[in-house]
Amino acid sequence: MGLHNNMRTETVSALNLREPILAKADETLRVAVQRMREKQFGCVFVVDEGDKPIGAFSESLLNRLLVTNPKALDDPLRRHMSDYWCCVKLTDPIIKVLTAMQSRNVRFVCVLDDQGRAVALTGQKGLMEYIADHYPAQVMAQRIGCSPFTQQREGA
Amino acid sequence: MSTNRPQGNAEHDYRDPLENYDPKQYAGPLERALATGSVSAIESRPFVTVPPTITVEEAMTKLVDLSIACLLVSENDRLVGIFTERDALNKVALEYEQLKHRPVAEFMTSNPVFVYSTDSPAAALAVMAAAGFRHVPVIDLNNCITGVISPQRVTAFLENYLHD
Repeated sequence: MGLHNNMRTETVSALNLREPILAKADETLRVAVQRMREKQFGCVFVVDEGDKPIGAFSESLLNRLLVTNPKALDDPLRRHMSDYWCCVKLTDPIIKVLTAMQSRNVRFVCVLDDQGRAVALTGQKGLMEYIADHYPAQVMAQRIGCSPFTQQREGA
Repeated sequence: MSTNRPQGNAEHDYRDPLENYDPKQYAGPLERALATGSVSAIESRPFVTVPPTITVEEAMTKLVDLSIACLLVSENDRLVGIFTERDALNKVALEYEQLKHRPVAEFMTSNPVFVYSTDSPAAALAVMAAAGFRHVPVIDLNNCITGVISPQRVTAFLENYLHD
């Protein structure tokens, strides 16, 4: 089967999912940024008491804030989190991740369980890995970061 | 007199050395495009370059104003680094007020992994999926910057083949 068919039949749980950073709306941006740094993620999902997502805070938002209002780092997340985010269920087809990212122009997608709790994070990286896994002979065999041709003539 | 010409009837004796060559079979057009196409098939423009001397504040203002996630840092048309939202998060964000007047060269990712415009699209995908870099500069064989590839641009490229 082709990639497109597999994206329609395989579920989000088949992606290489990551444990999301969850934060409460009262936490400060500074704390959120520290956690993003520690986990090397570009996004925090803001959740309610039941771990249901109510917003997101991404590195793009952070940059905008730093330029316009650097003192906002000590504000609570609820004042600056975005309500423009998207989520999919673990049981949704993978194509839904692609559609969600393209239609909303976001990089991160929150993955929910049956109860609507945020349990994982996926997005561009997860999708790239999924596609690469489909074509290991082409993708995984590539050199990364070196010159394709000889830089100097061979010696005699 | 001797010659190097083969003896006998050349037309009948000649054997194509590639007659047993078995060309690579691809499962579909996408696999073929990944393996045999070139990076130039992926949209890599527009892109923004800045000199390494601009300040962090200027660089971040550019990112925000242009709604982009990375700047290619170049010197004499040569790629020397890349400054992305991730660099801002990891190296600048919490100390922004103290660092904003420093040159971006201090915080960029130096010598970033890049692909040549003649590489296959699979090479760009490998940098993203295997090495984990989200933005991949594209340079030509004269080492001049010709673009940058992002996951959105790769996805747009893949979209052309997904429905086949």
